[in-house]
Amino acid sequence: MTSKVTINSLSTGVPGLDDLLGGGLPEFSFNLIAGQPGCGKTTLAHQIMFSLATEARPALYFTVLGEPPLKMLRYQQQFAFFNHDAINRSVRFVNLCDEAMAGDLDRVLARITEEVAAHEPALVFVDSFRSVVLATQGDGNTHNHLQRFMQQLGMLMTSWQATTFLIGEYFTDSDANPVFTVADGLIWLRQSVQRNAMVRKMEIMKMRGQPSLPGLHAFRITEDGVKIFVPAANSLISAPPYAIDDRASMGVPGLDEMMNGGLPRGYSLLLAGPSGSGKSILAAAFLNAGVRNGETGVIAAFERRPNRAHNKELAQNIEQGRIGVVESDAADVSIEEVMHLLAQEIRRLKASRVVIDSLSGFELALGPSFKDDFRESLLRLVAALTGLGATVVMTSELEDRYTDLRFSPYGTAFMTDAIIVQRYIEVESRLRRVMAVVKVRDSAHSDELREYSVDDSGIRIGTLLADQEGLLGGRPATRHRTVPAIEA
Amino acid sequence: MDSQESSRLTAPLAHRVAEDADSHQIAAAINALWTDIEAALQPIVGSRGVAALFKRTLHLAAARHPWLAPLKPGNDDAVDLGQLTALFTAQQPALAREAGSALFEIFRELLATLIGTPLSERLLQTAWSNSSRAAPAQDPKS
Repeated sequence: MTSKVTINSLSTGVPGLDDLLGGGLPEFSFNLIAGQPGCGKTTLAHQIMFSLATEARPALYFTVLGEPPLKMLRYQQQFAFFNHDAINRSVRFVNLCDEAMAGDLDRVLARITEEVAAHEPALVFVDSFRSVVLATQGDGNTHNHLQRFMQQLGMLMTSWQATTFLIGEYFTDSDANPVFTVADGLIWLRQSVQRNAMVRKMEIMKMRGQPSLPGLHAFRITEDGVKIFVPAANSLISAPPYAIDDRASMGVPGLDEMMNGGLPRGYSLLLAGPSGSGKSILAAAFLNAGVRNGETGVIAAFERRPNRAHNKELAQNIEQGRIGVVESDAADVSIEEVMHLLAQEIRRLKASRVVIDSLSGFELALGPSFKDDFRESLLRLVAALTGLGATVVMTSELEDRYTDLRFSPYGTAFMTDAIIVQRYIEVESRLRRVMAVVKVRDSAHSDELREYSVDDSGIRIGTLLADQEGLLGGRPATRHRTVPAIEA
Repeated sequence: MDSQESSRLTAPLAHRVAEDADSHQIAAAINALWTDIEAALQPIVGSRGVAALFKRTLHLAAARHPWLAPLKPGNDDAVDLGQLTALFTAQQPALAREAGSALFEIFRELLATLIGTPLSERLLQTAWSNSSRAAPAQDPKS
């Protein structure tokens, strides 16, 4: 007869952390929150503590050396999660400075034991643990003392049924530190500075018995505390697939016909064209068409000078809350963060249409360290958005080259279900625009290159330039017609 | 709001001393109140943290009451409560009462500047409630 023990999971209350840990924090686990100074360890610990602590499940927060407690309280109370009323009720701070200054780990342990026995906390925090280690250095046998201290502390906390967090400054994760062996969970916070952007990332290096998400995950500290941006696919549920004949109108007369009835719902469309070709106008028309059909939409705007103000219908729809806007002016945004913001807006508005305008601006807005993974992250983003049931239009700046036919600088063409390309051509000394539907996956579509114009009412699709050829080369030639001689 | 909060904080000393109390009684009450404050804060900010706060308080109070200046020791140890009591005992009751109130008022402001009024109130709750419990025993009219 085998009856396994059930390990309860605690919900940490830190957005994204439960997903990252693989489903919350195991009860009675012994965890280490590590990282360089200023990377958010104490903030993370406080956020977890205020979220989890109740009078029935009280928390003890031991401050050792390092940051003076008054200063810690001064800064931590700036966060929304900090609750004055909880202090001395469900949250108790205990200063171990005197014991630690004496450099005697046994005294530190005795005091911890005493306080734990007196208050029977369900949650215990020791901040910072690094200072405990430093305080004991110099007597020659630090490693052994520390090992013994760790084992005793771990044993004590587990048998007192306390979920424990040691907060420590560690500069290298390759330290053969006894703490790493004893700990059930290792939460490592890192920060990297590149140019003028600072990016914070979290890694769960170890979480016993839990399928935690591997790798580094971006997080941000705002007035609400720590927020982790876990990869989209892990936190979203796929929407049921649409039928291929369920189409979303593009909002441009004639374009739906070119696409055999519009953009299939749940598809992603790449709209590529040179600067000034009217990509944003077409993308706005797509959102406006949704609103006219009773749908809602979300636009992620990364263009430096958004022309939304000029598009009255779009501006009105935004004002009336039918179209949500996701913008980020931070210099270190990650794709996961944008995905998080988009998903939030999509859920809030129950949006069925999403526009990213433009991918080029999006890439510029990303923190330098995120740019390397742009393609991979974008693929996940598109999958996640369509997984949410949204029909997605992304615009992409396309350098006009008349020697080759390219759709995007990122190789994004393969990851989208449909592609519309816009080009400039020269006809009779005039710059004219043509548009073509290049791809609609699993669907018939027009193969025509159609001229179009942009005016106050939007995009008008014109006729086929049937008497021209070589359009994509940029210098079309007229067929079956003699070019009128200019020179007499 | 400010005057209300202020009265809540200066009240403990008023509660601990009767209106006709002599300097001895006032000094004893100040001593007891400070001991309660220390007991409330010491677990959280450590004995050195409390001593540092009190030294700053005394430094500020000595500007108005120079006779408090001898209490500003330079070492890391806690403030000498015996000396504190002796200094207050040596004053006229009215002056001792005024200086004592000022001392706790300055302390309140100092702590509130650092961690905000709501949190300081929260941390010092036990010190204040001790004083209100002690009040009847100190009050000859009850």
